Amino acid sequence: MSGDHNILEKGFKNVPANGRATGFQLAVKTGYYRGVYANLIEGFEVTVDGTTFQRNQIRLTIGGHTYALDKLADLKHVRWQWLEPAILTVHTPGGLTPGLHDVRVTELLRISYMPVQPSVYSFRRRLTLVK
Amino acid sequence: MARKKPSTSKRVKAALSHRSRSRRLSAARSATKLGVTLYSYGGDLHQGFMSLEDCIADVADMGGVGIEILGESHVPDYPNPSARWVKQWFGWMEKYHTKPSAYDLFVDTMFYKKRLLTVDEAVEYLLLDFKLAHRLGFKVLRQQWAPYPADNPADQMWAPYVKSTPAMEVIEKALPYAERYDLKMAVELHSPTQLQSPWMDSCLEFIAKTKTKHFGFTPDMSIFTRRPPRHREAQLFRAGARPEIISYIRKAYQNHLGPEKTVAEVTRMKGNAQELRWASIAGVYHFSDNDPKDLLPLLPYSYHIHGKLWEMTDDLREYSIAYEEVVPVLKEGGFQGYISSEYEGSRVPGDASEQIRRHQLMLRRLLGVRNGR
Repeated sequence: MSGDHNILEKGFKNVPANGRATGFQLAVKTGYYRGVYANLIEGFEVTVDGTTFQRNQIRLTIGGHTYALDKLADLKHVRWQWLEPAILTVHTPGGLTPGLHDVRVTELLRISYMPVQPSVYSFRRRLTLVK
Repeated sequence: MARKKPSTSKRVKAALSHRSRSRRLSAARSATKLGVTLYSYGGDLHQGFMSLEDCIADVADMGGVGIEILGESHVPDYPNPSARWVKQWFGWMEKYHTKPSAYDLFVDTMFYKKRLLTVDEAVEYLLLDFKLAHRLGFKVLRQQWAPYPADNPADQMWAPYVKSTPAMEVIEKALPYAERYDLKMAVELHSPTQLQSPWMDSCLEFIAKTKTKHFGFTPDMSIFTRRPPRHREAQLFRAGARPEIISYIRKAYQNHLGPEKTVAEVTRMKGNAQELRWASIAGVYHFSDNDPKDLLPLLPYSYHIHGKLWEMTDDLREYSIAYEEVVPVLKEGGFQGYISSEYEGSRVPGDASEQIRRHQLMLRRLLGVRNGR
């Protein structure tokens, strides 16, 4: 599904808020029809204006806690609730230039009953980075 | 390539026939009930266009009574909603004159990356859902047949809807808990389920052996799909799939090639990402090829039905599923539970309600139901 609504306008920003940016953040809602235990998240891919970031540049915040993508598989009881926007923090010195950006996010989940692994949800949205 | 279709064994049929007869006798007195699974409102809920209460109100507005939910989608703070929310849930049921029809749960056997859940671990997770379902007043579970490897590797094409010893063990070990919480584990028969199969035989044998009233089925009408939904093919074309490849995939599945061989062939044809993904999952839509009459032996143990719909045409027919062939079988078999409309089409907010209304009207006409109760 094109799933533009899965990438939120709110939450697209450089971090930290003050001082020199070390990266940027964006909020995503799942493309799946139910919430999952966080260890079922195989990963996220983020591409902005054609630049694809590396897995180890990305961290995920759910329920107020932040995890490296490779650490998700070790979790057991953390829920990514269905309606909860997860925050992706992408480490890239200087962050993004304020302005319009073509943002693509791919969500990868390990869904047991599907014939092919992983399940892939792709989103794309043009977002405005204010600061 | 002809497929061998084993028939339900005579021994199993004999063991169950007494129950079929008494069910049919009581059919004359009972009416199938109507409801909707809130899964249908996925787009509206996820994008904040409708609240859970709005969905319940919508179902009531169209004369539906049964409300079906997915714990992991619709219950805030799953699996432990607040007492306040639970009270509100019952308040909605009263306000809209609706009833909890079925609670949907899953068995995520691939919980860990490196190994499958053991049967005991799977039952532990099921128990969380049993408790929550019971807390919310549900009596019927639309339960997933646990995705463990098939006993017979040749069955893998129909996975996870296959005979599987670990999956059966999950049912056996969960049974005492289902009894304790007064729940019926109604395992979903979703496409590509084969109604005449070793899997169904093993389930009926289990029911005959235990005489349990806490394990049975939720037939999903997708098992009677004749052709893929139009919106899915339209989506594929928009995303860059080529008509000739999509057409090949449709023929491959109609010739029972199965997902692996179809994917291999489309790879050879240099299919793109959209085409490859469709090659792997298209079978879910039109691979079952079941005869509606094959539902009859299962109806005495069917506690819920998923009325699948993708597209209701202007003349109130489902584009992919011949309901006019299936509903008479439900009536003949004396099905007493809810038919729960499960809209799986557009997720654009606003689209679901209209399609579900058409579906509910079609069901009323086919069933001869007056008020859905």
